Amino acid sequence: MTASLSAPGSSVMGRSAWLEPWLATLPAPSGPLEAVQVRGRRALREQPVPSSRQEDWRFTDLSLLQQLQQAPGAGDAAAAASAAALPPPAPGAFRLVLDGRSDPLDGVTLPEGLQALNPLEIGQGLGHTLAATGCEQHWPVELNHAAAGTLLALRVTARHSVRLELVSAAGAGLLPLRLLLVLEEKAALEVNQLLLAPGPGSISLVLEAHLARSARLHHGLVALGHPEAALLGHLALEQEPESSANLTAVSAGWGLARLEPRVLQVDGQAVTTLRGLQVVDGRQIADTHSHVRFNGPEGQLDQLHKVVAAGQGRSVFNGAVRVPREAQRTNAAQLSRSLLLSDRARIDTKPELEIVADDVKCAHGATVSSLQTDELFYLQSRGIGADQAAQLLQRAFCEEVLRELPAVARAWCPLEALQRQDGLA
Amino acid sequence: MIRSDAPVLLEIRDLQARVEDKAILKGVNLTVRAGEIHAVMGRNGSGKSTLSKVLAGHPAYTVTGGSVTYRGDNLLELDPEQRARIGVFLGFQYPVEIPGVSNLEFLRVATNARRGEKGEEELDTFAFEDLVRERLKVVQMDPAFLERSVNEGFSGGEKKRNEILQMALLEPVVAILDETDSGLDIDALRIVAGGVNQLAGPDNATLLITHYQRLLDAITPDYVHVMAAGRILRTGGKELALELEQRGYDWVDEELAALEAAGDRTPVEVG
Amino acid sequence: MSSAQAVGDLVSQPYKYGFVTDIETEKIAKGLSEDVVRLISSKKQEPDFLLDFRLRAYRQWLQMQEPDWASLGYPPIDYQNIIYYAAPKQQAKKASLDEVDPKLLETFDKLGIPLSEQKRLSNVAVDAVFDSVSIATTYKEKLAEHGVIFCSISEAVKEHPELIERYLGTVVASNDNYFAALNSAVFSDGSFVFIPKGVDCPMELSTYFRINSGDTGQFERTLIVAEEGASVSYLEGCTAPMFDTNQLHAAVVELVALDDASIKYSTVQNWYAGDENGVGGIYNFVTKRGHCRGDRSHISWTQVETGSAITWKYPSCVLQGADSVGEFYSVALTNNCQQADTGTKMIHVGPRSRSTIVSKGISAGRSSNSYRGLVQIGPKAVGARNYSQCDSMLIGDRAAANTYPYIRSQQPQSAVEHEASTCRISEDQLFYLQSRGIGLEEAVSMMVSGFCRDVFNQLPMEFAAEADKLLALKLEGSVG
Repeated sequence: MTASLSAPGSSVMGRSAWLEPWLATLPAPSGPLEAVQVRGRRALREQPVPSSRQEDWRFTDLSLLQQLQQAPGAGDAAAAASAAALPPPAPGAFRLVLDGRSDPLDGVTLPEGLQALNPLEIGQGLGHTLAATGCEQHWPVELNHAAAGTLLALRVTARHSVRLELVSAAGAGLLPLRLLLVLEEKAALEVNQLLLAPGPGSISLVLEAHLARSARLHHGLVALGHPEAALLGHLALEQEPESSANLTAVSAGWGLARLEPRVLQVDGQAVTTLRGLQVVDGRQIADTHSHVRFNGPEGQLDQLHKVVAAGQGRSVFNGAVRVPREAQRTNAAQLSRSLLLSDRARIDTKPELEIVADDVKCAHGATVSSLQTDELFYLQSRGIGADQAAQLLQRAFCEEVLRELPAVARAWCPLEALQRQDGLA
Repeated sequence: MIRSDAPVLLEIRDLQARVEDKAILKGVNLTVRAGEIHAVMGRNGSGKSTLSKVLAGHPAYTVTGGSVTYRGDNLLELDPEQRARIGVFLGFQYPVEIPGVSNLEFLRVATNARRGEKGEEELDTFAFEDLVRERLKVVQMDPAFLERSVNEGFSGGEKKRNEILQMALLEPVVAILDETDSGLDIDALRIVAGGVNQLAGPDNATLLITHYQRLLDAITPDYVHVMAAGRILRTGGKELALELEQRGYDWVDEELAALEAAGDRTPVEVG
Repeated sequence: MSSAQAVGDLVSQPYKYGFVTDIETEKIAKGLSEDVVRLISSKKQEPDFLLDFRLRAYRQWLQMQEPDWASLGYPPIDYQNIIYYAAPKQQAKKASLDEVDPKLLETFDKLGIPLSEQKRLSNVAVDAVFDSVSIATTYKEKLAEHGVIFCSISEAVKEHPELIERYLGTVVASNDNYFAALNSAVFSDGSFVFIPKGVDCPMELSTYFRINSGDTGQFERTLIVAEEGASVSYLEGCTAPMFDTNQLHAAVVELVALDDASIKYSTVQNWYAGDENGVGGIYNFVTKRGHCRGDRSHISWTQVETGSAITWKYPSCVLQGADSVGEFYSVALTNNCQQADTGTKMIHVGPRSRSTIVSKGISAGRSSNSYRGLVQIGPKAVGARNYSQCDSMLIGDRAAANTYPYIRSQQPQSAVEHEASTCRISEDQLFYLQSRGIGLEEAVSMMVSGFCRDVFNQLPMEFAAEADKLLALKLEGSVG
C-alpha cells in the first residue's frame, strides 16, 4: 500500500458513497481467504473508485456497480443458475458449478491429473501471478479480494491432460469468483468457463494461472450478460518457457463488461495467443484492457481483438505489449478489428507498444469500419438479400474468434446466444 | 580452362574458422588460377557455405588460423566492402531483402564503388541506366525490378537473377556463388547458369558452391572439390561430381573416418 | 567491433550549429508575472486587443497544470527562472537588409541561410528570427506584387491588425493546453503569412529560428492563412547553440485553409539536443494545428525531427470542411538521451474528409521515441477515411520505441486503418551491402534514408536533399 493513502475509514464518503454501506454488509473476514478479505476491504476504503479522470478508465463508467448497494453480498446465485438453464455438461469434461458460497470441491472426486491445492500451497501461490503481472492493487481485483469467500485452487499434475468446465450464474448482488490454477510441467488444461447473468447482478472474476515449462492452457470464456449486469474480470497468467497459453474471451449483453487479460512470460520463449470478441448494443459498455510483458527472449504473441458495436453501445480496447531489453527476438503481432454498426455507437481503440529490444518483430494493426460494401455487394449480386448478406458477414466476423474457443465451449453455441442477446442482424 | 602458367588469383592455405564457439573450417587448402571454374561440393554442414562467407568477410565468422591470399595480398585483413571493391564477389544463397532501398540506387552505388577502386570514372544516373539495361539481358530480367526495393518481395528465382545481375555489373575477378542453384526451377537455372557462363573468361575465376550435380550440367567445372567436416577431402575433375551423384555422400563419411583415424589432413588427388 | 556496435557509434556526431553569436542583447529580467506580459506587449507597441488576448491567456495558464501524460521524464521547469524577452539591440526599424547588424547576417550565413541580396536563395523567401525578434524577411516586395503577405508577426500586428484579430487564436485557443497558454501570454515573434483568394504563392516561404541566449525562452507564434483557392508551401528550420542548461521552446503554429486552399508546412528541426549524457539541449513543447475550415481544403504537415533534448509535438488537423484532406508525414530521430513524444491528431468533422499518417521513428543510444496519435471520426463525418502507418527502427538494445495510436470512431460509414511495424538494421543486411563494395556508413545511411523515403518524398525539392544530408550527418561518425 502506498504510504500517502489515507488511513482506513477516513475521507472515503463522498468519493464512493455506496461502497461503505456495501462493505458493511459483508460477513466478517473468515475462512481460507480471511487475510485477502481484510486486505481487499482496507484497499477499497483507501482507494478511490476508478473514474474517467484515470486514463485506464477514461471511457468506462462504473456507476452500474452501484446496484451492489441495493442488493448487498452474494445473492442467490444457485437460484439464478437454475433459472439460467445451464447447458448440459459436455461429454469428457469435468464440470464444477461455482456459486461463490459453497466450496466447489465439497463431496467431489477429482479426475485423474487434477488435485486440489493444500492450504500451504494456496498460501504460497495466491496473489503471486497478480503481483507478477502488476495488477494486485487494481480496483476490480481488490473488490474481488474484499468479497470472495471461496476459492477454487487446482493443480494439473505433470504430463496429464484435463478438461474442465466451470459454470457460474449471477443472482442479485455480486458473485465473486476466485481461481488459482497451477499447471505442472507438460500438463495440459482446457477450461471452458461460462459466466451468465440472466438478470440484474454482477460477477467479479479473478483467475490466476501459473504454467510450468511446456505446460499448455486453453481457456475459453463465454460471458453472456444482461443490460443491468456487470462483469469485472482479471485473467492473470505467468508462463514459463516453452509453455503455451490461449485465452479466448467472448462477451456480450453486459451493461458493463471489463476484462483484463494480463500475461507475463517470465523468461520468454513461450507462446501466447489472445482472442477477444466483445459485442455491445443498447447502452452497453464493453472494455478490454490487455497487457502482455516479455521478460525474456524469443517469446511469441498472437493477439486478435474484435468488436461489434451497435445501438448506443460503447467499446474500449487497450492492448499493451511490453518488450524490454532482455526480450530479444520476440515476435508479437496484435490486430484489433472493430465493426461499427450504428451512428450512435462508439469505439475507442488504443494499442500500446513499448519496445526496447532491437531484434524483434512487433506488428500491430487496427481497423474500424462498417461492413465492407464491396463484400455486401458481392453477396447481393449472387441473389442474397441485403439483410441476410449483412448477417452472413457479421457471423463470419465473429466466427474468426469463436472458432478459437475450446470445442466444448463451442457446443454452447455462443453465436446463437449472442444473436439472441444482441442487435446482431 | 586450365593453364598451369595462368596467374594465381586465390590461394587458401590451412584456413580455419569458427562461428561463435563452434569450429567449422579445420584447414582448407585451395588454389584458384585465372580462367578456372571450381566446384566445391559437400553435404549440408560440411563447411562449404562457411568458406564462402569467410572469403567475403562476414562478421559472424572468426578466422582462427591459416591464410587467404588474393592476387598476392592478404584478403583476410580487408573489410567486406574493400574485398568487393577489389573484385571478390559473393553470390548469396539467401539474398537479403532491404526494404526502402531502391534496387537501382543500390546497384549504382555498388558499381561506382567498384569503378572507383579500378580508377574508372563514376557513372551518373543516365550513363548507369544505359549500362544496367544492357546487363539486364545477361539474366533476362524485367527492368521493372530496378524500381523495387532490394530483393524485397522477389521470388527465389528473381533474387538469384538479381545476384547474377550484380555480378555482371561489378565484373568480379573471383566470383563465389553460394548454392546459386538452390530454389531454382529448370528455366531459372538455365538463365542463371547462362549468365555465369557468359561472365566467365580467361582473366577471372569462379567458385561454385553446390550440393547437386544439376548446376554442373549447365556450368562445366575444371575442378571439383569434395568438402567434409571443414576441409577439402578430395579433389578431382568434373567426373568426381558424377561419381558423387551416383554414389551419394556416404562414401565420403567412410573416407573421412579412415582419414581421421590415420590423422591425415592432406587431400587425395584423383583422376 | 561487431557491426551492431558500429551502427551504434555511427549515430553519434558533434552538433555543427552550437556556436554563440556575441552580440549586445536587450533582455528583460527573469520571471513571469502580469507585469511582464504587459511589458512585452508595450515593448512591441501592441493594440489593446492583443494585450487583452495575452492577459486572458496568462490568467488561464495560472489555473492550468503542466501535462504529464507523455512518455517523457524531465526535472520540473522553473518558469520564474526564464527570460521572456530578448532582442539584439539595433535600430528601431530596419529599412533594408543593409542596416541589419552584420554579425546577425554572418550568423545566418554560418547557418547556411544567407540573407543578403547577392547570396540569398533564388526561389525561397526567408524570415529570419533571432531570439525573440524577426531580423529580416527577404523577397517581401516581390511577394507583395502577388498580394502575398509574408512578414514577422509583430510587423503584421502593426500593418494588418484586422487580419491578426480575425485569425489569431482561432485554431489553437489561448487555453488549449498549458504550453499554448504560456505562448499566448508571452509570445515574442514569428511569421505571418497571408495568401489571398486564388493566389498560388510564387515561391517557397521559410522561417529560420535561431535561439542565441542561454537563459531565454523562445515563444514564437506563426499564423498562416490561405484564402479560397490559395496555396502555399512553407518551411521552418531551427538551431540553437550548445549550452549545458536547458532552454524552453514553446511555440504555437496556427494554419487556416479556406475552401479549396492548400497549405504545406514542412519542418526540419535541429535544435541542440544536449550532449551524450543528456546535459543541456532544448525542451521543445510545441502546439501546431491546422484548421481545414473550407470544403476541399488541404493541409499537409511534414516534419523531420532530429534535435531537442525533449520533443513534445503533435501537428494536427481539424478536418471541418467537406472533402477536406489532412496529412502528416514524420521522421523522428532520437539518439543518446533524447526523448521524443510526437505524432498527430486527425479530427474528422466534415463528411468525406480524408487523412493520411506516415510516421517513421528511429531510436538509437539510450533515447526514447514515442509515436502518439489520435484519429477521431465524429458523428457527422460520413464517408471519412484514415490510413495510418507507423514504423519504428531500433538501433542498439537500449533505445525505446513506443507506439500509442488512439482511434475513436462514432461514424459507421467511415473507415480507419492503422498499421505499425518495427525493424532494425540487421547484420545480414549490412553485410550484404558491404559485400557489394558499399561502406558501413553509407550502408547505414542508405537504409535509414530508405526507411524514411515516404516522408522525404513529401518535402519540397530544395529541402529533401537537405533533410537527407542532415540525417546522414546525424549518422556520421567513427567506424571502428
